[in-house]
Amino acid sequence: MIAPPSTTRPPEVTSGPGAPKGPLQGGSRLADQTFRWICLASGLLVLVVLGLILFSTTKEAMPAFRQAGLGFITSKTWNPAGNQFGALSFIYGTLVVSAIALVIAVPVSLGLALFIAELAPRRLRTPVTYLVDLLAAIPSVVYGLWGIVTFGPQIQKLYVDLHRWLGGVPVLGNLTAAPQGRSFMTAGIILAMMITPIVTSISREVFATVPRDQKEAAYGLGATRWEMIRGSVFPSSRTGLVGAVMLGLGRAMGETIAVALVIGSSHVITAHLFGPGDAMAAVVANEFGDATGTYRAALIGFGVLLFAMTVIVNLLARRITGRAERRLAGGRR
Amino acid sequence: MPALLLVGFSLVGLMAACGKDSNNGSQATKGSTSESTSAKLAPATLNGSGSTFVQPFLEQVIASFSEKNSGVVINYGGGGSGKGRTDLQGGIVDFAGTDATVAAADVAKYKGPFLYFPTVAAPITVSFHLTGVDSLQLSPATIAKIFMGTIKTWNAADIAADNPGVKLPSTAITVAHRSDSSGTTSNFTNFLKMAAGPAWTLDAGSTVNWPAGEQAGNGNSGVAQIISTTNGAVGYVDFSDAKAANLHFAKVKNKAGKFVEATLDGASAALANVTINPDLTYNPLWADGDAAYPITSPTWIIAYTNQADHAKGAALKAFLSYIYSSGQDMANGINYAKLSDAIKSQAVAQLDKLVVPA
Amino acid sequence: MSARPPAGADEVFGARTPQDRKLLQRRRLFNSAFNAAVYACVLVAAVPLFAIIFTVLKKGGRVVDLDFLTKPIPVVTRSTGPGMGPAIVGTLLITGMATLMAVPLGILAAVYLNEYGKKNRLAQVIRTMSDVMTGVPSIVMGLFVYTIWVLRFGLSGFAGALALACLMLPIVIRSTEEILRLVPAGLREASLALGASRARTILTVVLPAAVPGITSGALLAVARAAGETAPLLFTVGATRTVNLDLFTGVNTALPTQIFRNANQAFPGPVERAWGAALTLIVLVVVLTILARIVTKRFAAPLR
Repeated sequence: MIAPPSTTRPPEVTSGPGAPKGPLQGGSRLADQTFRWICLASGLLVLVVLGLILFSTTKEAMPAFRQAGLGFITSKTWNPAGNQFGALSFIYGTLVVSAIALVIAVPVSLGLALFIAELAPRRLRTPVTYLVDLLAAIPSVVYGLWGIVTFGPQIQKLYVDLHRWLGGVPVLGNLTAAPQGRSFMTAGIILAMMITPIVTSISREVFATVPRDQKEAAYGLGATRWEMIRGSVFPSSRTGLVGAVMLGLGRAMGETIAVALVIGSSHVITAHLFGPGDAMAAVVANEFGDATGTYRAALIGFGVLLFAMTVIVNLLARRITGRAERRLAGGRR
Repeated sequence: MPALLLVGFSLVGLMAACGKDSNNGSQATKGSTSESTSAKLAPATLNGSGSTFVQPFLEQVIASFSEKNSGVVINYGGGGSGKGRTDLQGGIVDFAGTDATVAAADVAKYKGPFLYFPTVAAPITVSFHLTGVDSLQLSPATIAKIFMGTIKTWNAADIAADNPGVKLPSTAITVAHRSDSSGTTSNFTNFLKMAAGPAWTLDAGSTVNWPAGEQAGNGNSGVAQIISTTNGAVGYVDFSDAKAANLHFAKVKNKAGKFVEATLDGASAALANVTINPDLTYNPLWADGDAAYPITSPTWIIAYTNQADHAKGAALKAFLSYIYSSGQDMANGINYAKLSDAIKSQAVAQLDKLVVPA
Repeated sequence: MSARPPAGADEVFGARTPQDRKLLQRRRLFNSAFNAAVYACVLVAAVPLFAIIFTVLKKGGRVVDLDFLTKPIPVVTRSTGPGMGPAIVGTLLITGMATLMAVPLGILAAVYLNEYGKKNRLAQVIRTMSDVMTGVPSIVMGLFVYTIWVLRFGLSGFAGALALACLMLPIVIRSTEEILRLVPAGLREASLALGASRARTILTVVLPAAVPGITSGALLAVARAAGETAPLLFTVGATRTVNLDLFTGVNTALPTQIFRNANQAFPGPVERAWGAALTLIVLVVVLTILARIVTKRFAAPLR
């Protein structure tokens, strides 16, 4: 028994009083509604969890916040034994390491994205895509292990050489002083490797949504590939790329383990990029296990700060890429 | 997807079985000569945490003890003396390793009276990594200035004064210290306070407000790792870890004015004339004697006098007496100094004070 | 014809004058430089990747054998020799439990977003927040579970699984929603036209059609969770023997063992860390490849 064609009934109808109760209709109305509520509850879970994270971590961190007041963010005196919790040097470290990572990763990621989207010969496209995926698949702790055991000691020699050549130069000399394998720079380099995949993949999607006729128009007018990209691709991708960079920033700020292993654990605000430093997520990973009382609360406070910072950055990035996405139809996320 | 999970879990089960087998299939069944406590111990799990200074020794003793008592599992988590003491306060562990005595103010935080059981002693080395330099000697005042950051390069005047005739490079000094609450830090800084006098202005304690720019390592092995991978680094590391990591360490000038190498004999010499308190705490730092190594660190296991559980209490007592018998024989091989006879005999006598419920 | 074109804009074909020829040369030079720069970027990304993989294969390969995979972790930290058995078991158990929690909930949430909520206000908010949640640092998840679970119930494998589940949930939601969007509306309409209720349509028509895509997305989420360290650091504790009970007592996992051993000065634990790293990467790569195979093989009819 085949029901009449669906033209007589709107497709969105739920099983209401008017619907025929045939043998194919399973379950009562109650079951249908229950299922809907279960799905809704699962969806709400996201909001609940996010809210709980904010609430419970802030509550646990209150003793430290109360102890330090606004000085938690503005003071650079970090002396847990003496009950002084100024996080400024860690905030500085997080920002510096993220900045170094972005400076390295953004050009490289853009290049990779352009390569995959525009330049690559057919047979190179897939391998390079896999290369980027592989960069993303390596766990953070393996990056850290490699950094601390292999990369760090090797690159320290390069730092020492650089400092020897540039020691006299006014600004650079200061930047390169105190060269060590475990430093802001090493953490920044490894972080750059880790955020490259996310910046690359989002840039790729942004580039893929540039209307084809714009590109062909540029070629038709005799543009070289570089001029086509500069004239057609970049202008319409600008906002999307900004979003990609911000997502990379968010990832860099929150990256914990690799940074914890190679940053040197020295809380200091300094221009010596080749010297040791410390970052918020890193110090939590390194010292939480042994911390008690207000010290522990302060470390949880770092978690609160990180949560706030990454949520804000991600929301901003969403808004920016959302605007870019809405311009085109059927963009795959 | 369910199929995958099934396969995964069966693999896991297989591995678990294999893991368990190789764990229990030890040489315990070989009919070896048993200890004086020949009664078979009831199965129990003992958890401990604390000093990383004594960790290599405890691990070896645990391994050997577990072979002879197959039902008893002992987990020692390390984490620093501060963590061990806090864990014992909270009842999270059954015993704690600590190189520093409990502050009077903290005694009330414990769940009941506890006992100090000395285990071994060892030198705290001033380890360094400097290409081209294999041996150094340092006086306490110089060490103080290095760790305070006042001396910044290896060819500074103070270091040169301590080492006449040695060619010192101009490498920058990288100081490595502990990030966690550490008994080793406490002993090292107490030594500096006693020995360097006014030259040492940072206080002494389990955690210290170190000057900016120095690197922090987690545990003794973390500090050892920083030193071994960084040219120009210097730090305080326990003897056993320093030797195992092939670090060079400096001779330190002792109270009698002699530069003494960090050796087990130097540690034993420091222990020989020490005053033992009734609760078995003692202080071998900055000891008298020509051969005494001035930075000798004591270390204890602390546990509650009144044990709550029969099996655990019996296991703990057996483990401690094992430390005083076979453990002491193993000490030298792992680069720890055994206890002096005076200390040991008092410790063994104190074992009877442990109250184990029937 | 020989007029100079405006700077940077469309230019003339076939340069005739020397100025035009020079201009064309310059443009070609820039283009070649650009090409070279892009290829350099690929190299800059590839070289360290190969360096890491090579190092892991070489150093890990030296250590990994059946003993390594099954023996317990040595009591004496600085000794050489196997193994990492308990860590492997721990990783599988904890990740498995996290998957059991996150995947069903994630699928149901995605069903709400795509089938019920669609474009309404609440659904938009959940979508945005779900994206935001993927960006929350994993250490914050660990601290979160520490405050609400560990402080009350102690360290356990389950606490670690909770933290990993929080991490996986938004990833599963996003990928599942994408897949559901690709299920043709016609399938739904036909089912509804035949008289099935909404719930029944979803459960018997939409989801089965989407299973390959959902599986693939879930496998990628599992691969991501298996490699995470930070959420496990303060929730799982450490042990050196296998603990099959997720709810009582401490446990251990490959990433946390690597983290602990990376800080050791002795070759023994560092070797074990490399071996654990190799095992972990193999696990992650296998899961990722599986996800790709599932997508390619089974999702074809859908696209």
